[in-house]
Amino acid sequence: MDAFFVSVEELFDSTLKGKPVVVGGRPDARGVVSAASYAARKFGVHSAMPLRTAAKLCPQAIFLDGHPERYREYSERVYEVLHRFSPLVEMASIDEAYLDMTGTARLHGPPLEAAHRLHARMKADTQLNCSIGIASSRLVAKICSDQAKPNGVLWVIPGCEAAFLAPLDVRKVPGVGKVTDERLHALGIRKVGDLARLEEDFLERRFGKWGLALAGKSRGLDAGGWFDTGIGEDTGPKSISHEHTFSEDTAVVAQLEATLARLCEKVGRRLREHGLRARTVQLKLRYRDFTTITRAETLERPTDLDIELFEEARALFRRNWKAGAQVRLLGVHASGWSQEAAQMDLIDDGRHQRWQQATAAADKLRDRYGESAVSLAASLRGQFRERIHENPVGLPGKSEKKP
Amino acid sequence: MEFTVSKAELVRELSLSQGVVEKKTTIPILSNVLMEANGDRITLTATDLELGIRCSCPARVKKEGAGTVPARKLLDYVRLLPEGDIQMKFLENHWASITSGRSRTRIAGMSRESYPELPPTPPVVAQVPVKTLASMIARTGFAISMEESRFTLSGALLLLRPEGLTMVATDGHRLAYVQAPPAESGTVDQPFRALIPKKAMGELTKLADDAGEGAVALFSGDDNHLFFQVGHRLLLTRKLAGNFPDYERVLPKDHTHVATLDKAEIRSAIERVAQFADERSRAIRVQFVSGEVRIFSSSVEMGESEESVPAEYTGPDLEIGFNAQYLLDFLRVISQDRVAFQLKDQKSAGELRPAGDSVTDEYRYVVMPMRI
Repeated sequence: MDAFFVSVEELFDSTLKGKPVVVGGRPDARGVVSAASYAARKFGVHSAMPLRTAAKLCPQAIFLDGHPERYREYSERVYEVLHRFSPLVEMASIDEAYLDMTGTARLHGPPLEAAHRLHARMKADTQLNCSIGIASSRLVAKICSDQAKPNGVLWVIPGCEAAFLAPLDVRKVPGVGKVTDERLHALGIRKVGDLARLEEDFLERRFGKWGLALAGKSRGLDAGGWFDTGIGEDTGPKSISHEHTFSEDTAVVAQLEATLARLCEKVGRRLREHGLRARTVQLKLRYRDFTTITRAETLERPTDLDIELFEEARALFRRNWKAGAQVRLLGVHASGWSQEAAQMDLIDDGRHQRWQQATAAADKLRDRYGESAVSLAASLRGQFRERIHENPVGLPGKSEKKP
Repeated sequence: MEFTVSKAELVRELSLSQGVVEKKTTIPILSNVLMEANGDRITLTATDLELGIRCSCPARVKKEGAGTVPARKLLDYVRLLPEGDIQMKFLENHWASITSGRSRTRIAGMSRESYPELPPTPPVVAQVPVKTLASMIARTGFAISMEESRFTLSGALLLLRPEGLTMVATDGHRLAYVQAPPAESGTVDQPFRALIPKKAMGELTKLADDAGEGAVALFSGDDNHLFFQVGHRLLLTRKLAGNFPDYERVLPKDHTHVATLDKAEIRSAIERVAQFADERSRAIRVQFVSGEVRIFSSSVEMGESEESVPAEYTGPDLEIGFNAQYLLDFLRVISQDRVAFQLKDQKSAGELRPAGDSVTDEYRYVVMPMRI
């Protein structure tokens, strides 16, 4: 989707159209840009950039907090449209999706024609612009859709993948971030074509498995990590986590623990949505000076309950926080899914069961009245505005999943 | 100290101490057995500070005294000697010389001065047939939790009451309860309630196995210890600290439905079907339908299995998940031919009891289902 968040905001406030708009928060707030309009991007503003930097580059921009629930709703509408074109849809992030169009030629016509129909249908149904890349692999399709922006359609004819990629900067390859980029630069590699000319063995020696994936990617193949799975193949999340950066560093225990409670509620809610129970709870703690620690604990009994996650996270926090030290960021991470049939307890104070019932009831209220309708008392002081991000360029993304 | 003892008797008494002697200990002397010669007997004492055992056997004592030698090494060596008499003499340097026939050995010992004293035995409060104790241990011990958690203890509750002996064990998921009939409970002078550690229960079983028909354990206890005197052998253990869960609340008051089955049939069926249960959870599905009990298992990696067993059952169709191991633990320990499976619904505890005429005591086994 093109400038997805901003485009959605424009639907609700047409005066924003054509203006430099930044979604993410106040210009003087801590935090990063979630999305920027094309007008703002002209000034060098891009997503994942600190808001204060954006404010310096483009002081006249309109800064919005954003409406995560609207974006999710529109993301679902986008999914509806896509699903009509192919049963195999993979939402790679809130505003990006892959469609496997194999075998749909009779229904939708040749690739370009199908893409144009999809493009038109998207505009008609959601009033939003999108850009479409067509290719024989997801990797090339992604890069290609990026090249097609804004509001374009681009098809890389099979066999021309390498030629298409060769002149592009290696940073355009999904998965190549700052670190890999620097290491490649050190080898004198700047363009994808340079990468493609290297021996696989050499890359493997240099980068290990990732090197092999890079070699594949440079030739336009889906390779490495998530790209190894099929489109729409549900591998499920491997972990669920939430973190929060304080707008001002804090050492106030009540606030820190309240935030922890809030994070646990968010993690717990998603665990329950996915029908997962976690065995491991991990705490992430970043101090003012950016030193970051993570500490994990394995639970006696896997859980999907906010309260049990919180008790564990709080115990970890109390054990590991340097009392009085200013905290910049807190995170809660749940993993280690337990699928096995659950042995019920004969002897229990009934607490687990009561919490289970209470949490189920709270979830119903949240479904109906919003996420902050009910919360643990401990988290009341830990309410913070939800931040949601468009998928930054360069990442395959896998944040939001659709059923 | 110097004495002569029969090899067979020494081996028998020494064997009883092996379960108590610490294999890996930070206190070296706890690997040793304390040997004391007095009058016409030698006494052997072993302890790991939690558990202690003291046994004795007749000997021809030439010179009274005491000393300690490594228990394991002594047994390993003496066992290999030919049948007959063994002479043992403790030397100035705490070593002991062992002579038997043409064999001569000197084993490195340690002074008895540093060997811990066992607490004195308080007055006896009950006399309990060891056979009853052993049978109660066999029928509850498996339900003791391997790990200690919030609701469980690594031991069993022993209740001595005028109406009979009771033993209860639980790991938080299941609970085994045995109440022996008064006729088999011996005499109880004063009611007593104590938590026995799992390890002590194992040693008590060994003592019972080695005791003669009709042997009785003299039971007593102080604030911290429990004492079981069986003949010339004494087992003492530190009491387990903690609160035993309120088991009476857990024992179901009523059951809506009962299925009665042939024990051998249901046991073999579960053993077979459980081969294809998930290895970690050991979950099986048990279906109760009119006249029949069906068991199902399935594992993503291995496959699936099902079996049915005829049953006297007239209740509604019910399907409940259980840990196969939990059910087998009970079915393997009862002597009766028939078993009654009492249930309510998918979420309530099920209860197993031996069924038929040969049931003389109250043995109840409560198992919580699995969510499947």
